[in-house]
Order: sequence, then C-alpha cells, then structure tokens
Amino acid sequence: MSTAPAIHIENLSKTFGRGRKRVEAVRNLSLDVHSGQVYGFLGPNGAGKTTTIRMLLDLIRPTQGSAYVYGQHVRREHQVLRRVGALVEGATFYGFLSARRNLEVFARTGDRYDPRRINALLEQVGLAGRAEQRVKGYSTGMKQRLGLAAALLHDPDLLILDEPTNGLDPEGMHEIRLFIRRLADEQGKTIFLSSHLLGEIEQVCDRVAIINMGEIVREGAVATLLEGQAHLRVEAMPLERAAEVLRAQWPISTNGTWLTVQARREEIPQVVRRLVEQGVDVYQVATQRQTLEEYFLTVVQEAVRHD
Amino acid sequence: MINLFRAEWIKIAGNRWVAGCLIWIFPLLALAFIVVFGLIVGLSSTAREQFTNETSLWTEQAIGAWDFPNNPVGRLVLLSFTAVVFAGEYQWSTWKNLLPRNRRPALILIKFVTLGLFVVVAFVLMSIVLGVGMGVLSALVGKPYGPKVTGDVLADFAGDYTLQASLAFTSTIIAGGYAALAAMLTRSIIGGVLAGFVITFIENLSIVGLVLIGYLLDVPDVVHLYRLTPGYNLLNVSSWISNDAAGTFEVQVGAAADYVFADSLTFSVAVLAVWVIGLITVTVLLFRRQDITS
Repeated sequence: MSTAPAIHIENLSKTFGRGRKRVEAVRNLSLDVHSGQVYGFLGPNGAGKTTTIRMLLDLIRPTQGSAYVYGQHVRREHQVLRRVGALVEGATFYGFLSARRNLEVFARTGDRYDPRRINALLEQVGLAGRAEQRVKGYSTGMKQRLGLAAALLHDPDLLILDEPTNGLDPEGMHEIRLFIRRLADEQGKTIFLSSHLLGEIEQVCDRVAIINMGEIVREGAVATLLEGQAHLRVEAMPLERAAEVLRAQWPISTNGTWLTVQARREEIPQVVRRLVEQGVDVYQVATQRQTLEEYFLTVVQEAVRHD
Repeated sequence: MINLFRAEWIKIAGNRWVAGCLIWIFPLLALAFIVVFGLIVGLSSTAREQFTNETSLWTEQAIGAWDFPNNPVGRLVLLSFTAVVFAGEYQWSTWKNLLPRNRRPALILIKFVTLGLFVVVAFVLMSIVLGVGMGVLSALVGKPYGPKVTGDVLADFAGDYTLQASLAFTSTIIAGGYAALAAMLTRSIIGGVLAGFVITFIENLSIVGLVLIGYLLDVPDVVHLYRLTPGYNLLNVSSWISNDAAGTFEVQVGAAADYVFADSLTFSVAVLAVWVIGLITVTVLLFRRQDITS
C-alpha cells in the first residue's frame, strides 16, 4: 500500500497577469496532508486559498512547482483526481436541471453513474424531498448541500472543500461540520478544508496551515499551535509594581485590571515567587489558552509587519 | 465514453429554452407547416387543385429539410446554439465540477460530437415530419407520392440523405469550433454568441475583402482564397448532393478579371475536413492550457 501523503505540494507558485497588473497569488507554497487527517487551510479573503485549491485540482496551471495527490502528479497523471471529491468556491450547477439530474451529469462525466448512490447522497444531505426540483430555485444553503453530495458522488478518498459552510445558517454550519468530522472519523476520509472561519477550523481540523498573501505563515497541529501560544492572566496588587517585576523576564501587557504574561503553565510557580519576593500580593494566576482567532490575528499581523 | 456522451446530452436537451428555441423549433415548425398547409388545401379548392397538379416526391421533401443547417442563416442559428453550450460552462462556473472528473480533451471532443448528433437528430425528425406529412396530404387529395420504393431508389436516397446529414453535422462542428473559441475568449454566453457571429460574418464577407485586396494591390488571384472558406464549401457540397453538380460562384475583380468557382465534391469535402480537424485541434490545445478561474 502506498505511503505517499494524500496531498503533497512542492514550491507551488501562481502569478496572474503581466507588467503592472502582475499579481502573485501564491508564492512557493509547500505542504503535506496525510491520509485520515482533517486539514484546515486558513487565511483571510484573497490570501491564495482558492488559487491553491484550483492548482491542486488541475483547474489552473502553476507558474512554478508541483502538486501531487497520493503521490501522483495532478497534471501529468490526471486520473488520480478520480480519488478526489471537491467543492470549490461556492457550489455551482446547471440551474435548468433538477438536483438529481445535476448529480447524474457529474457522475456520468466521471464515468461512475450509480442511481442508488445518488439517492443515498440526496438522502444524506437532506435534499431527497426536493431532488426533482430545478436547482435554480434552490437557496445558497441547499446548493452547498448539493455541492457536498456532488463531491461525494464517487466515494472519494480525499475531499477538498473550499468554504463549505458559506451561505449556511448557524444550524446548517453546525450540521456540515459534524458531517465533515464524521466522514473523517467513520469513513477514514482525508479532508482538506479551506475556510476563513476560524471557529470552523478550530472545531473540525486536526492540523492547520495559515496562509497570508500567498505564503504559508504557520503550519502544525491545531492543539500544538494553540498550546504554544498559551499565556497567563495575573491579578495582583499593586499592578504597576507587578508589571515592573515581571517585565524583566516575560513579555507582558495590561488592561489596567490584570496582566497578560506570555509564559507557560510550568512557569506559574516562578512568576508567583518573583511577585511575592518583591512584595506584590497575588490574587489569581490562570492559564489562558489563546483561541485560534487570536492566534490567527497575531500571526497575520506579524506577517504584515515582516513584509 | 457513452457516459460522457449521455451527460452532455442531458445538459443540452435539459436546457429546454435554448434547445427548444434554436433546434427543436425546426421539426415543430415543419409540423406547423404541414397542419397549416393541410388546412389551406382542405379549405381552398384553388389551393387543392394547385397542390394536386404539382409533383410531390418524398425523397425531395426528406432531403430538402437539410438545406437549412447548411445555409448561412442556418449556420448563425447553429452558432448561437453551440455558443450557449460552450460558453454556458464558463458563465455557470460548471467547468470546475467537470474538469477534475475527466480529461479536458475528452470533455471538449464529446461536446462537439454530441452537439453535431443533437442537430442531426432534430433535422432527421424534421425530414420525417415533412416526408410523412406531405405523404398524408397527398393521400388525402388522392395524388401520387413518388418515387416508388425500389432498391435503387432507396440506395440513391440513403446515399444523399447520409451526405446531407454528414454535412449538417460538419456545419455544426464548424459552428461549434467558432463558438468554442469565442467562448474561451469571452467566457460569457452573450459574448460567445456575438464573437461567434463576428467570426462567421468575417468568413462570409471575406470575399469582399479579398476582392478589394485583389483590386487595390493588383493581385486578382487572391480571391481564390475564398474557395478555402467553410461557407463556400458547405454550399458547394450541398449543391453536389441536391443537383449532382457544383454550386457555381462568380466574382469579378475590377473590369478585367472574372472568376467562376465550381469545385469538385472531393475538393470541398477535403477543405471541410481540414477545417473540422483544425478547429477541434486548436480548441483542444487552447483549452488544455486555459486557467479556469471562475
């Protein structure tokens, strides 16, 4: 059995336009996604997420670099894309055809038409009752569900989902997240999930790559990334004196009521000892785990500063 | 390949307004014509007498239906139809759903084939409606409807009919080639239709340009280039099928040079084959390199 990663991207770059209109959408992007993972691809709008996905699906040609799926080059060995199901940048369909007919068109295009599979998927995404209705009458949420069904048509090993919860109400978003998680946990599918919704990535993904201005600025397991960014919240009196004492050893900030100290949980005894030794009264020290949202903003701002 | 063909057929036939207004309208118009003509013949004794005295041949009725897709106006209608089919994938952003599922050359080739067959089916229906409809009307007024079906007549008819159908198929493929290139350029249905019209007009009016060039630069022989256009050759093949003779085309460059084109069937078929292969090849090559960004 092949041990090649589900996705291997090597120095991928894409430049659109020429001269003054030249835009570097993706720059030297490399990453690996291993089988069975739910991998988050996080970045603000215009960061290069969809361009990367389009190169991965052979919809656009990279200016430089290569993309591999299960060890096969997506352009040279196009047939490997039959192991991939994708929902790219909003679900789009033939509005004049019914949902069932749309799925039939996609299944036949991939040379794998099975009406029972179509029925099962329509049931699974909650569209069985409206399967004969023309898609042009569907809401955005219904189209997203149909998009997921289309992506799953040929029972792919790898699912690439670009902003899959766009246009859904909170309940619909929750359902889709559970659905995605179940696909990974129960069916062992690998999922590459692009989103600008940090909560979504945090709740669903095992690993995450943060992309900004076409470059990956951080990559790792979600838990590790956030753990590494834990900080302490310290309530002490007098606050100014506490800040003075701790500033020598750790980066700190204050909101006038407490101090935020960039230190690990293991350093709590040392923090308390230093404060007490200097005559500061300590009321509370708590570990604060940074949310992915805070982490993302920090990372993106750092990247902007370096540029 | 069968699945790919059926997928394409579902899309084309499922777009009922477009397929209905641009293709199915022809058999429907033929049916309407038979009904209206039948009413006129039934109600007017003069019309009935005139109809009874005219010779009606089922072979002519059935083959006559094919004139439309091969003439310049018919080609514009086919172009509009094929433009929707090609440009629609861009406008509806559906290429992104299709391309990962199959190879680009296969997706493009099947579009050409399906479009051609779709048009052929529509005009087969039209020829059946006209052939059978006129037969029914002839029987009602009690006039003969020849020719008598014999082996020779059938063989002759089958040959001409196949050639006409092939010509309609070719005409559709050429219109499809123009439409596909226009669609790739504009990525919109309206843009595709307009750009396709422009290409077709340029092709049809190229003779005017060639005459001007020939006259102004004193190279009258340049008008021979018109013999390489699809429009001229489609009409020439059609003439060979219908009249068993070349369709003559006269053009004068200045006062002295007078040209009459009357090419052989082989010549025109060869030129059309080059156009079909060339347009499909260019379309496939360009499409293979095109970025699908919407």
